[in-house]
Amino acid sequence: MRCHTCARPANVEIRRSRIAFCAGCYPHWFRARVQERIDHDRMFRRDERVLVAVSGGKDSLALWHALTRLGYRADGVYIRLGIGGYSRRSQEKCERFAEWHGLMLHQVDLEGSEGFVVPDLREARSGKPCAACGTVKRYHFNRVAAELGYDVVATGHNLDDEAATLFGNLVHWNIDYLGRQGPVLESTHPGLVRKVKPLYRLSERETAAYALIERIDYILEECPMAKGAKSLAYKAMLNSLEEQQPGAKYGFLVGFLKQGRAALPGTGFEPAAELRACARCGQPTTAEVCAYCRMADRGRRRRERARPPAGVDPT
Amino acid sequence: MGVMRVTILPEREVREVQARTVADLLLELGLHRDAHLVVRRDEILTGDVRLAETDEVEIYPVISGGGR
Repeated sequence: MRCHTCARPANVEIRRSRIAFCAGCYPHWFRARVQERIDHDRMFRRDERVLVAVSGGKDSLALWHALTRLGYRADGVYIRLGIGGYSRRSQEKCERFAEWHGLMLHQVDLEGSEGFVVPDLREARSGKPCAACGTVKRYHFNRVAAELGYDVVATGHNLDDEAATLFGNLVHWNIDYLGRQGPVLESTHPGLVRKVKPLYRLSERETAAYALIERIDYILEECPMAKGAKSLAYKAMLNSLEEQQPGAKYGFLVGFLKQGRAALPGTGFEPAAELRACARCGQPTTAEVCAYCRMADRGRRRRERARPPAGVDPT
Repeated sequence: MGVMRVTILPEREVREVQARTVADLLLELGLHRDAHLVVRRDEILTGDVRLAETDEVEIYPVISGGGR
């Protein structure tokens, strides 16, 4: 297989497009795709301040790297979720990346500032905190961006993430979520910062290839809490289909965004006039106390119950 | 076609497998092509690359999950 650009032996094949690139040309192709989506989907302009939500994984660090190389003013935000050694190692990856590239990294320490950690948010039925973890991350990414005056929050969601989410929402016919799924979530309130996903048309494999070629030191291990998560089952299923039909994931997601979404009632971007400030934290919500504050209360209560009584040595 | 040793990350599990090409290798191991990268001496390999039993090959899984 030869590189589509320079005809040297190729390293990365893009099966859905029947093209391949060598390690020298691939990063240029990858960044051009990122730039294309930023422009085409009007995600942000060059004069806007971007906050990249980073986890230490390949997607978010590849995104931060690509945006910086494309000349955007992009800072990072990392949330210390408190998932044992995994969190410590991912924090280290983010800090090292920021230091190496001379970039600003903001951090939120859940345990220190909120009094709970993600494992405290396990659901009773599934034993998994993944859905609650998503809420925690979205809340703090938005809060930090709003407080520090960023114009947009960019996340590393890739084609596989988005196709798996779409599939899950179809399996359960979550019409409300389907209507809101897309690469740009516009701000509907001054306290809600615009959210964008510049990697949404690039597959997880393509993002990993970019990270490896650009020698980005990312956390390879999987979040221990995510083992057995539904999203992984959906991804495996979609990759089985992709094996037989290259381009199936892309067609599924992009077809939905171009045609399917328009058939759904409401896009979720109408001005949210009914939003008011949460009585506890001041963030926009439809309720008296926002979903995050109620969830944080549950997390703190569970942490309190799990704590050994004073004077008892936990060892 | 002899037996080659491949290392699967992140646990660095070592497997012995017979495979003529990179695509065959993943098929033999029952791994999806879109969920893995095959690397030899720091170079990512395309599916058509021929492998020799002396090759030291690493397989990187690329899928992550959970609450995103």
